[in-house]
Amino acid sequence: MSETLLQLTAIDKCFGGVTALREARLHVRAGEVLGLVGENGAGKSTLINIATGLFPADSGVILLEGKTMTFANTQQAAAQGVMVVHQEADLFAQLSIAENMLLSRGLVRGPGGLINWRKTNTEAERLVADLGEQFDVNQDAGSLTVARRTMAEIAAAVSTSPKVLFLDEPTASLTVKEIENLFRQIARLKAAGVGIVYVSHRLEEILELCDRVTIMRDGATIETRIKADLTMDGIVSTMVGREMTSSSVKRDVPIGDVRMAVDGLTAKDGSYTDITFDVRAGEILGLYGFVGAGRSEFAQGVFGIEKPVAGSVTIDGQPLKIKTPRQAVAQGLAYLPEDRLVQAVFREHALRTNGSVTVLPRLSTGTVISNRKEHVLARKIMEEMAVKAANMEQPIGTLSGGNQQKVIFGRWAATEPKVLILDEPTRGVDVGAKAEIHKLICDLAERGTAIILISSELPEVMAMSDRVVTLSEGRVTGTFNPREDGEEAIAAAAVPRSAEKVVVALSPLQRGLARALQMRELGLIVFIGLLGGYMCLTNPDSFANTNNFLDILKNAAIPAILAQGAMLIICAGGIDISVGSMMGFVGACAALAVTAGVPAPICLALALVLGMACSLLNGGLSLVARIHPIIVTLAGLSIYRGVMRYAMDGKEIRHLPDAYRAIADGAWLGVPKVCYYVIAISFAVHILLRYTLLGRQILALGNSESAARLIGLSKTKLTLFVFACSGALVGFCGVLKPAYYSSVQANLGEGLELQAIAAAVIGGTNILGGRGSALGTLLGAVLVALLYNSLLLLEASTYWQNIFVGGLILLAVSVDAIVQRLRGSAA
Amino acid sequence: MIKKILDKREVVLFIVLCILFTGFSMNTEYFLDLDSLLSYSRYWVAPGMLAIPMTFIIATAGIDLSVGSIVAMCGIILGVLYRDYQWPIAGACAAAVLSGTAAGAVNGSVSSLLRIPPLVVTLATMTLFRGVAFGISKADAISNFPPAFKYLGHGDLFSFNLNGNPVFVPSALGALLVTVVIGAFILRKTWIGRYTLALGENPVAALYAAIPVHWLTFGIYTACGFVGGVASLFYTSVYGTARADAAMGLELEAIAAVVIGGTRISGGQASVLGTLLGLLIIGILKYGLDLSGVRSQYVVIIVGVLLIVTAVFNEWMARRAGESK
Repeated sequence: MSETLLQLTAIDKCFGGVTALREARLHVRAGEVLGLVGENGAGKSTLINIATGLFPADSGVILLEGKTMTFANTQQAAAQGVMVVHQEADLFAQLSIAENMLLSRGLVRGPGGLINWRKTNTEAERLVADLGEQFDVNQDAGSLTVARRTMAEIAAAVSTSPKVLFLDEPTASLTVKEIENLFRQIARLKAAGVGIVYVSHRLEEILELCDRVTIMRDGATIETRIKADLTMDGIVSTMVGREMTSSSVKRDVPIGDVRMAVDGLTAKDGSYTDITFDVRAGEILGLYGFVGAGRSEFAQGVFGIEKPVAGSVTIDGQPLKIKTPRQAVAQGLAYLPEDRLVQAVFREHALRTNGSVTVLPRLSTGTVISNRKEHVLARKIMEEMAVKAANMEQPIGTLSGGNQQKVIFGRWAATEPKVLILDEPTRGVDVGAKAEIHKLICDLAERGTAIILISSELPEVMAMSDRVVTLSEGRVTGTFNPREDGEEAIAAAAVPRSAEKVVVALSPLQRGLARALQMRELGLIVFIGLLGGYMCLTNPDSFANTNNFLDILKNAAIPAILAQGAMLIICAGGIDISVGSMMGFVGACAALAVTAGVPAPICLALALVLGMACSLLNGGLSLVARIHPIIVTLAGLSIYRGVMRYAMDGKEIRHLPDAYRAIADGAWLGVPKVCYYVIAISFAVHILLRYTLLGRQILALGNSESAARLIGLSKTKLTLFVFACSGALVGFCGVLKPAYYSSVQANLGEGLELQAIAAAVIGGTNILGGRGSALGTLLGAVLVALLYNSLLLLEASTYWQNIFVGGLILLAVSVDAIVQRLRGSAA
Repeated sequence: MIKKILDKREVVLFIVLCILFTGFSMNTEYFLDLDSLLSYSRYWVAPGMLAIPMTFIIATAGIDLSVGSIVAMCGIILGVLYRDYQWPIAGACAAAVLSGTAAGAVNGSVSSLLRIPPLVVTLATMTLFRGVAFGISKADAISNFPPAFKYLGHGDLFSFNLNGNPVFVPSALGALLVTVVIGAFILRKTWIGRYTLALGENPVAALYAAIPVHWLTFGIYTACGFVGGVASLFYTSVYGTARADAAMGLELEAIAAVVIGGTRISGGQASVLGTLLGLLIIGILKYGLDLSGVRSQYVVIIVGVLLIVTAVFNEWMARRAGESK
């Protein structure tokens, strides 16, 4: 055939003692589509991640076009032409889809290296159109359907003309039409000599598309065969590699009355629609479907994690009130979730407490837990479930996956549920433990529990279920008897057909509200205008004059400058509440220096450097220790203030030299100098954040740390950069304010951190990071200053000012949270 | 063996405490005067009480920056009701405790219902509650409380003779000890404590394990507000005045005691005994430095540094423990 492009040999990889890959191989040729199949946990994803540079192999060789490669990160791999489109693309939700596509692969830049957004969007549109798609690339990625995100990712990957392209379950959420487009694109790439590795659970697709198929099992590459040698059965038996043993077949137990009946259950986001079925006592109902069929979402809906919008559930004839998991459990429902590490295990807590957590009130008198009862329960779980552990105090995180799962199973069995929903109960569990878990499931059924078994492993579903219900695209597509109907029929019913998911639309009012609240800057201008207008009308003399307006701007200046730095830090996902006292400290040092005869410009430079140093210390400490910046900066708040007082020794610093004062005092063209400064700084930050790659990377980091790592961004560098920027601005303010008032008092900068954060948050910065606006921040600071000024003129006591700052922060973040939720439900 | 003992946080803290104690008693005159030490402890009751609910809050990976402001606000409410509205002192005290509880409920409901990080919520309410204190007091200090009220802060439980000198045990210290015992009991013996730790260890798994996470969060912050209200009574009584700028930086001391005590900022592990030892360390440090003539406004530098150092140390230890597994 054709030449070898990428070759991986003898790849080993361990994660904390668990072997993920053993001597795995992969061999990709130019101009072919190589299928990569295996059960969940067979090691496909790990192999892809190693091939594309996400993490290194423990040992083994990677050859690209005959040359040995070591990829330090995904960007290096991408630069060599090895690219991947991940299954559930981890996106920057608050950045536009166009930016998501092009951020790591080249935003279109114009003169001065500034980003040209118009051309970037056109480019993204073109790429999407190449793939036969058409949608607004300017909308936030978070508001796009998963299918479109996937298509956008594929479009972006294809655009860089890769040599080797990994597609990890690309069709999981696509419709038939989109799949056709994708296949056409794959054929085109193949003709152009690209080596494509196609990972999918959908074996029909593999057989249709691939030239060769590599099959993995338990972390090893079992074999690679050409298409002509392959049948579906052949692939399945190699993948599974073992016959299901007799212990894994469900025992016959008498089937009783209906325990749970589901009628027309529908999710808000359309992930499942009109689900209707029932389960009887002693029965195991297999719920089978592909990734994205809505199985887990359905289970979570019943269990009260995400409330369904329509339909009803009854248990033993009693309508189930679904609001919270607690209510569901109280009414006899139990749910063993799919993702053990994230959704079930308290890693560092003992096996005992992990097992008893669901039944604590039952083990207690009042609120006091009975030690004896808890130990009895823990021992029972260890014995009945055959948990292999040193003792019940062993942290569960140190057990193997199978033993962890048994404890979690015991946790739910202890609630003696009427209905137990098991979501992938044997995922990532070794063969022995798997058989034991199957036995436990049968035991529960024997005692009259109705069981819903969700699994992607068809053989498991076939062997364990009395009945199988297939789900596809969130709808029930059939009910089968696994003893009579064949695997093919069941698999066929589960294959996603077509059709967009039904999304329950937002009411026009909600949508309008969400959109209106998004235009933060405009809203702020209107609000400032209204308040200003009102003040002009009611206080024409004292308010509506140039001096007062300049006063407002002047008062807004220092908080606004600080706020630009605070905003940058917040955008990157951090926070600094010590900027006020840092400003006091730096200001005192600079003023001491200048009164000691150091020339003013040098003092200014000193202040900038000192500010940067303090701020970098904050940022650096939180990075090194991996603790939240709030702790470091909370301590910093006191430390800088204390050091400042020590430096000033209880005295005020007065009579600063004129050269120093000239930095801030005075006016150009009748407008105070500080106003020019604040506008220049805001403009610079605006350019940085909006038009430079660095700025976009800061926002990307704040959006999603994991996705940022995936495209090779350095958290350390970006974090230090924003802290350095903020520090320089803090230093500048530390000079400005004393220079303006010609004195430094012990309370210099006090409370300014709150005003700065308030200005940023009011200006539309997402306090959790990822979104921010320099213009909004400036307007936020002006609004705060205007409010202060108005309160003063209205002769409201100045003592109430704090309430407004605090209240405004609370209001702004609450509005943000509500908007996010409205938009979240729109996606 | 030695390593194992050193891995136990409380032992390390106890050793540190002993070293501090010996150091100060050798270098500072009057340090070993038990009566003045106990008398000084009166000033330490408010932050000490607050460190207990703070232990729970940090155990859930949360934080409450507003506790200092709550104490100030409740003190002002107490004072204004007593002085300007001629409420009986008991009624004013009850109102102060109620307002503290309400303030905590605001923190709890906003962070649990709107799912805004408590850091942000309490940063805002820190300013908000302080603003209320300034607003209703017009920055005026209120004093002249009745003798019965002074007993809270200055009264003594009992006294005994030590080498012929009388030693008085403050009643406020008794209240602090009661808080510690209740806190330790709830954390270790009840499912409330168990749920708290579970929530901090893995909030998603806590939800899936049918723990009422929203109610729990709400309850913990509300309880913290309640304790803040109670602490404000002792604080106001000890200092004899209610001021809007009272209890500045109290949140730092409470948080520092918790973190020094070994409770992880990332949640999931907590020890009330550790917090108590953390309190003692900060308290001894402040007392000793005070006697050595260091001004109290510089002592916050040391508290701050101590907070950072132990936070870094905690994470480092936890990571090392995680890696060795």
